Amino acid sequence: MRIGIDVGGTHTDAVLLDGETILASCKELTSADVISGVKAALSELQRQAGTLRGLETVMIGTTQFTNAVVERRELSQVAAIRIGLPSGRGLPPGAGWPEDILEVLGEHRYALPGGYLYDGKPLSPLDDEAMRACVKDIAAKGLTNIAIASAFSPANPEPELAMAEMMKASIPDATITLSHQIGRLGLLERENAALLNAALRPFAGRVVEAFVGALSEMGITCPLYISQNDGTLMDAEFVREFPALTFSSGPTNSLRGAARLTGLEQAIVVDIGGTTSDVGVLRGGFPRESNRAVDVGGVRTNFRMPDIMALGLGGGSLVSEDGLTIGPQSVGHRLVSEALVFGGSTLTATDIVVAAGRADVGDPAKVAHLSAQTVDNAMTTMRTMLEETIRQMKPDKQPLPVVLVGGGAILAPEKLAHASQLLTPENSGVANAIGAAIALVGGEAEIFADYREEPRAAALDRAKAQACEVAVRAGGDPDDLRTTEIEETPLPYMDDGVTRIRVKVVGSLLRTANSDDGDAA
Amino acid sequence: MSGQITLEMLDDIAAGAAFLATGGGGDPYLACLCAKEGLKTYGPAQLLDPDDLADDAFVIAVGGVGAPTTSLELLPSVDEAVRVVEAYGELVGRMPDALVSFEIGGSNSLIPIVAAAALGIPIVDGDGMGRALPEATMMTYAIAGIAPTPAVGLDYAGNTERFDVEDVKAYEPVIRRFAMERGGMAVSAEFGMSGAELKACIVSRTVTLSAELGRYLRGGEGNALEREADLAALFDGTIYGKLELIASGLVSDYTSKVVGGYDVGEATLESTVPGSPDLTVSVKNEYLAVKQGGEMLACLPDLITIVDFETARPINAERLSFGQRVSVFRIGSPAHYTTPEGLASLQGLIDTVTD
Repeated sequence: MRIGIDVGGTHTDAVLLDGETILASCKELTSADVISGVKAALSELQRQAGTLRGLETVMIGTTQFTNAVVERRELSQVAAIRIGLPSGRGLPPGAGWPEDILEVLGEHRYALPGGYLYDGKPLSPLDDEAMRACVKDIAAKGLTNIAIASAFSPANPEPELAMAEMMKASIPDATITLSHQIGRLGLLERENAALLNAALRPFAGRVVEAFVGALSEMGITCPLYISQNDGTLMDAEFVREFPALTFSSGPTNSLRGAARLTGLEQAIVVDIGGTTSDVGVLRGGFPRESNRAVDVGGVRTNFRMPDIMALGLGGGSLVSEDGLTIGPQSVGHRLVSEALVFGGSTLTATDIVVAAGRADVGDPAKVAHLSAQTVDNAMTTMRTMLEETIRQMKPDKQPLPVVLVGGGAILAPEKLAHASQLLTPENSGVANAIGAAIALVGGEAEIFADYREEPRAAALDRAKAQACEVAVRAGGDPDDLRTTEIEETPLPYMDDGVTRIRVKVVGSLLRTANSDDGDAA
Repeated sequence: MSGQITLEMLDDIAAGAAFLATGGGGDPYLACLCAKEGLKTYGPAQLLDPDDLADDAFVIAVGGVGAPTTSLELLPSVDEAVRVVEAYGELVGRMPDALVSFEIGGSNSLIPIVAAAALGIPIVDGDGMGRALPEATMMTYAIAGIAPTPAVGLDYAGNTERFDVEDVKAYEPVIRRFAMERGGMAVSAEFGMSGAELKACIVSRTVTLSAELGRYLRGGEGNALEREADLAALFDGTIYGKLELIASGLVSDYTSKVVGGYDVGEATLESTVPGSPDLTVSVKNEYLAVKQGGEMLACLPDLITIVDFETARPINAERLSFGQRVSVFRIGSPAHYTTPEGLASLQGLIDTVTD
């Protein structure tokens, strides 16, 4: 048995699964401290199932780290080291960041010579003396959170490793984030990712402690895993090192949950909440990734995020009197007091579907006065909004199945253009918790190869081996890893030869001997 | 017009330059970041209207050369445009009285601004392309017969090299090789000319136009159709011809591949006018031509700008993807490219779409 929990901004959803079977599910409010909401959800699962005996794993997806960055809280000071001089003079780490978050991180910025060029030649040699001076300064300031990024480190991480080694020797308790472990090509974006990650690490330690504490108070001692933004898992130790990899795991989990609930590998998933609808695409059972630079709290990064298009349509969206305009304003979580059907005075999207006889929520008598014209207009507006977004997200001309999940799924009409079929699976309200519960372990690697010097097969093997290493570190079973993606991109600005290879592997969790077979308290 | 380029104008210039880049020119994010840091340090740059430029002034063109994708890892430096102008002064023995941009489309609109601010040398309001184009041979300075050399290249490490070759055809491969051997991107100072020579061939007042375009696009709301009249008014009375929205549609197919160092591809747009045939857009780094059912709607030297329908913000060719709802604007070319010499410089590109 496994438990999946999704900690969102408003709701904490949880499911208890036995293989494919959903034994219990619940939706609790997210508490300010997060932990009491998680405990409430666990208690409710235990109440429904009678017991949590035989639990093997608990998987948690959480928005806490994204929110910490967006709200500039729980972030620690960071020493930022870029190895790339003499390039990038005058553009120090943190260039282009909003002032308020730079201040929180403390503006401890260092630029040193080193790094590599696109053709594998050194950009400039490492400067031992400059490195030692940098370490000394950081030690004197008493900083222990450190981010290191060097030019072309995805191809050659040597400079980052050398700097880290010197740092560890002088500052044994340093926690160091190396950019090549966390991001892709794009030095500034990868460095930003490493900086955010470093700033989150002390908080990550506290979050993991709190989760483990909450589980143990419930008598649960089985291993804990956290969802990553690509729909795979990392174990509790890994999340202490790479908290930034949790960004955007919420939408990913609902997409993965939709795949499980329907058995579909290729589909459009529409997650309708109270304020917005998130539309994403399933490809091979995993979310299609975005190829754009992604802003997190005003900081440009290149994380592997799911490609999500959000539109301002949810159950609480405000509807104009004539029904022609809906959202983006919403009554949000006040839906249960402000919507007409709940005795409030605001016309919302939920009121429209009740008036249209498409949903049984609240008191239908309270919307009986709405004109047929208004209701018709509003239903058409909602359908058009959804169809327009789905059309833009669709990978090609072919219609695809559309899966509706989330609490606001009742808003969707019976038919949508571009949809080969329209599905609202059972338990779709907790698809995100299911997505967390079924997640696999993954690993990714990006290398550069010159096929004139290294045969293609050998290069692919080298990339796969690196990806497997990452997956095993994240808690994967080395005997059950399969390659799910191979991307080969010839570098367009090279005369010939050099190819970038990106490989992704996924697999199941290594079953540990200490799985919890005791009775939960 | 003469005046100042201030820190606050840089985001506008970058947005306007993306509109004029006709699908090419790369992402100006890093160049804009550099320009902001530069202007924070040095203060505003002086912008000089071509009419206010003395005939006997000495002007050089400054900009970046190479493969923009390499600057993903090899970051530009704030002072590199400053240093290449200084190196030019030393190696050629003459500091310029004014600077001018290679091309207004994309990053190269911003690179000379830092040098102008730091050195207190004005930048002339205009450029050598009026858009983005792939080669030095296509600059209006080259078309006018001005010699590109003596020229100076500066690499990321600050190493410089002086080039002296017979003409622009010989110069293009030399400066490109310099960039590729030194990490993929370099800056250069070239086309030393008199004020009178520049005035005869500059695509005038494109810096001001970029700033106005960018301010308009970033400021307001409205879809491409609603904003067509305002955009057309911005181009009215400029060196460009008329701006017209020639089609709107959905991107129903886009494929591209790298051929000889260029992004070459073709996009298909499903017209929003019911029953009318699909549109095809030819791409070679930039948008070259738009056809519908065998009829040419727009073709180089026209400027073709494809925008997101909802916001009228430009979409670069590498960002075109299935399902986008887009509008296509045609902007009449500056007269520089409709002369026999101007057309001849683009003929190779035009031939690829008029077979």
